[in-house]
Amino acid sequence: MIADLLTGTLAEELAAAPIRVFVPTTPATAVAARAARLLGNERLALAEGFTALAGPQRDWATDVFTLLRRGLLGVAVAPVQLDAAGRTNLSGIGPPGRPRVALVGPRGLPENNDTPCPLWYLLAQHSPRTLVERVDIVCGPAPSPTAGPRTLLSPAGCFDLVDGRWVARWLAPGGGELIEGAPGFAIEVAVGVPERATPSAAAIAALAAVDPGGTRRAEFGE
Amino acid sequence: MTTLHDILAEAAPDGALVACGGGELRRKPMAAVRELIALGRRDLRVATMLGSADVEALLGAGGVAEVHAAGVALEGLAPRWREARQTGEPRVVEWSEGTFTAALQAASLGLDSIPWPAGLGTDLPAVNPWLKEASDPHTGRPVLAVRALVPDVALLHVNGVDEEGNAYVDGDLVLDGLLARAARRVVVTYERQVESDPARAAISRIWIDDAVEAPEGALPTACPPAYPIDAEGLRAL
Repeated sequence: MIADLLTGTLAEELAAAPIRVFVPTTPATAVAARAARLLGNERLALAEGFTALAGPQRDWATDVFTLLRRGLLGVAVAPVQLDAAGRTNLSGIGPPGRPRVALVGPRGLPENNDTPCPLWYLLAQHSPRTLVERVDIVCGPAPSPTAGPRTLLSPAGCFDLVDGRWVARWLAPGGGELIEGAPGFAIEVAVGVPERATPSAAAIAALAAVDPGGTRRAEFGE
Repeated sequence: MTTLHDILAEAAPDGALVACGGGELRRKPMAAVRELIALGRRDLRVATMLGSADVEALLGAGGVAEVHAAGVALEGLAPRWREARQTGEPRVVEWSEGTFTAALQAASLGLDSIPWPAGLGTDLPAVNPWLKEASDPHTGRPVLAVRALVPDVALLHVNGVDEEGNAYVDGDLVLDGLLARAARRVVVTYERQVESDPARAAISRIWIDDAVEAPEGALPTACPPAYPIDAEGLRAL
């Protein structure tokens, strides 16, 4: 099940990441963060949306930028487009300033794409519409050499941005075909890259504990 | 007693830069927005970090010359915001959450501009004249110089105001505290009068010019915990 594989993997990653705060952007990312607390990151604080920290923190909307610059904030985002160099787009399709299809807007992507923080791109589909050679409107800049780890989790598998190139860490079952279906988004798949169908048993147990109703599955169409 | 109508008639003339507080579908100052629409203002400039019903209602009423935002959405996409961006009418100035915050910080300090560490390497400087690539005068490191955005009036909706005029927000303050420090005039609407507890106040009365009681003044957006969003009201915008 892709929802459990990707949400569980994100939970494992968040449990090991040196972050103090996580910004969930979807129900599944919130589930992953709550599971990460059970998996060892007990004090991980969760933000509500991008602008409020659950709890008595008042100036969160400005603190978020301080945390980003200091590498203490984790974010998982689902941009409209992600490209081969790690740029992101949430603004629209077409030329900058006059898109043919305008969407929400840049939101915080210019702030969170090139920081010392770890960042995850969590996509429900490994689609050539989303995974492109170059984004139409650059909202999130290409991560610089000082950026923290950038990881793509998609139904095709888990991929790391290494020196400006996407490299497969592991593939989900059928991941090779999905990668071929998005040819603009180049991914290096080394011979012998492992296949992974489920997260760890501990992650599965943590997901079941924090999300017994399976709310994480809706955004993956399951 | 001075009414919201009278206050806005004075505080928001034609062409004013009006900043709306709240964020996404929370605590949008809709009572004040409705009064502004009733005043029939022209050439308004509207600014909000994360817009929703506020931007859609003002665009729907006409009389808007320019919108500044880092994003606008309802429960799904926001049709009038999208149309404005696709047609260029009225003009939309795209910000990020951080650069919008920086522009208000510059305004609050009386600076012409302020350096910001993000936004370089994006398309934002090409479409937003408030953003210019520059270098730090001490180190030469590239920065984004963000020009101040100084609202003529900030419209904020909060949960409560006490008898001294301090404002209380239950939950997410979003950027309201900074807006109150950046705007030339601050108009607060509130759900109900509350007991004074200055240690809990979200915005001190020293930043507030006018406070007017307006129950359900955020509808159709939410004012947690008083009420959730009114989905039907959002669809009827």
